[in-house]
Amino acid sequence: MKNTTQHLSARKFKKVGKYSALAIILILLATLPLLNNSAYLVSLVTLIMIYMALGQMWNLLGGYAGLLSLGMQAFIGIGGYSLAVLSVDYGMNIFVAVLIGGALSVLFGLAVSPALFKMTGVYFAIGTWVIAEALMIFFSNWSVVKYAKGIMIKTVYHLSGTQIYYIAVVLGIASVLIVFLIMRSKTGLSLMAMRDNPGAAEAMGVKIFSTKLKCYMIACFITGIAGGVMYINLANITPSASISTQWTIAMTFMVIIGGIGTMEGPIIGSVIYVLLTQYLYNFPGSAMIILGAIAVIAIMIMPNGIMGTIHNKTGFEILSPRRTLSPSIKDILRGSASDTNR
Amino acid sequence: MLQYLVQGILLGGLYAIIGIGMSLVFGIMRLTNLAHGDLMILSSYTALTFCELLGGNLILAAILTIITMIIVGFFIQGFLLNNILDKGSEPALLVTFGVSVFLANLLHKIFSADYRGLANSLSNTKVISTPAVSISAMYLFSFLVAILLITGLHLVMQYTNFGRSIRATSDNAMAASLTGVNTKKTYIYAMMLSMGVTAVSGVLIGCTYTFNASVGSSYLIIAFGVVVIGGMGSLVGTLVGGIVLGVAQLLGSYFFGSGVQMLVAYVVLLIVLATRPNGLFARGARK
Repeated sequence: MKNTTQHLSARKFKKVGKYSALAIILILLATLPLLNNSAYLVSLVTLIMIYMALGQMWNLLGGYAGLLSLGMQAFIGIGGYSLAVLSVDYGMNIFVAVLIGGALSVLFGLAVSPALFKMTGVYFAIGTWVIAEALMIFFSNWSVVKYAKGIMIKTVYHLSGTQIYYIAVVLGIASVLIVFLIMRSKTGLSLMAMRDNPGAAEAMGVKIFSTKLKCYMIACFITGIAGGVMYINLANITPSASISTQWTIAMTFMVIIGGIGTMEGPIIGSVIYVLLTQYLYNFPGSAMIILGAIAVIAIMIMPNGIMGTIHNKTGFEILSPRRTLSPSIKDILRGSASDTNR
Repeated sequence: MLQYLVQGILLGGLYAIIGIGMSLVFGIMRLTNLAHGDLMILSSYTALTFCELLGGNLILAAILTIITMIIVGFFIQGFLLNNILDKGSEPALLVTFGVSVFLANLLHKIFSADYRGLANSLSNTKVISTPAVSISAMYLFSFLVAILLITGLHLVMQYTNFGRSIRATSDNAMAASLTGVNTKKTYIYAMMLSMGVTAVSGVLIGCTYTFNASVGSSYLIIAFGVVVIGGMGSLVGTLVGGIVLGVAQLLGSYFFGSGVQMLVAYVVLLIVLATRPNGLFARGARK
């Protein structure tokens, strides 16, 4: 019995430690622009937060829903152009414009989903890519978005770096929270069941199509909004830069390096990606060569990414998608088990 | 209109050659090589380099390119893909994606973003030149090479031991290895064969169009389109797939202007993907 209480307090201690660590990170994020005068650090964290949102959404699809997409850049383009066209040409509030961008992304995702969801595996991956490429050509020939020459988003010029920072932090944290909540919900259980054995999951009453579609819609929405926030930060948009495979490379890189199918993977991945690309600016022209080589080597050495490898070796994870039994129930179970042993 | 139609059919031959390399790899390893387009552009640049070194002897340069690419295929399969294929299809797919990013940017760094082309006598020669139709000898040559390659590969696949071991691995890798086929070795041979064909397509593309390091991904989509429309793993299907895509592209250019010609081809591809996910000529209902 003494043993059990000790175990209990150790668990509680661990839990308290975990929550306080998260709280410290949140407080640091909230006060960073006040504490530090370095505008560079603020802009760096801004980028990390936006990329983190993109990575989380790619991971939700690729890591949890089994939908390997190479075409999420379509929604970055839609989000960015919604911001540009609605705020510059129609004088709309930029936040409303970004939210509408998210909504338009969902509508576009819904429109292509009947065709897209007939495809599986690699067909799905290339299908999404072809749709994005087609959208890019369409935007380059469309008068509303000023053809291929793009739009200067003058409406965001008055925003300070700190304001953009807070927008990005809200986006980044929201994306993590959304994925966490999805994975803790019934949808999350369905997703993991589908991933492990689609046949058995379907037999147990998991609605495969609608669960996947739900995830896809959520990913479209957040990616669209992240695209809008990205272009609040960049302030200049063209079809070839916004609907570019460059974004897909970034998303895949982050998630693969960090660990596909883990909550923390995209977080670690986005930090690594942003710091690495910043560092590689010192080698103009070679950045993407090095990035490609690192990606190949990383997949060869640890196909599960950093978090996946750590988790497999030690069982360590911060944001677990799995619900653990509450300690008291676990102890009762353990107690009764040891009783019978005796 | 007739001009566009004829040219579209001949272009289809060229597209078919691009597709064959991808179809071979997919048919045998169930792997989509996302670096296919960039490997093709790599062979275009290799041919260009050899051509410059040899003082313009394109035929010798083409042969050297084919040999080089076969060696490249050996290294890619032997050192990269064979080590990762056991871990599921997604890591392998992502490795080819990484190779694609690496190659495209490496070529960009070495050869800059300028568009280049392979100088040859065929592309300025017209086989038929009437007011209604005028056909470049290059297009016709590509089409003939496509038919030769497809016939040749078909014969190899059907009647040689090498072909049988490839088909056996493709049908059931486990059973093939039980009957004494070394599947890993077969994968290497298949990739080398695929890269040889890719080298041919790279040289032909270099002769027909100008190219730079960033066009690889659009040829990847074409290769994929050809293979999907024709049915993965079906050789005759790739020719049909190439023609469908080539005609769609050029008729799109005829009706809507050259700016959106690829859009039309992509839409045709998406319609086929959505309605016949196994392609128009898939063997049976196998997945």
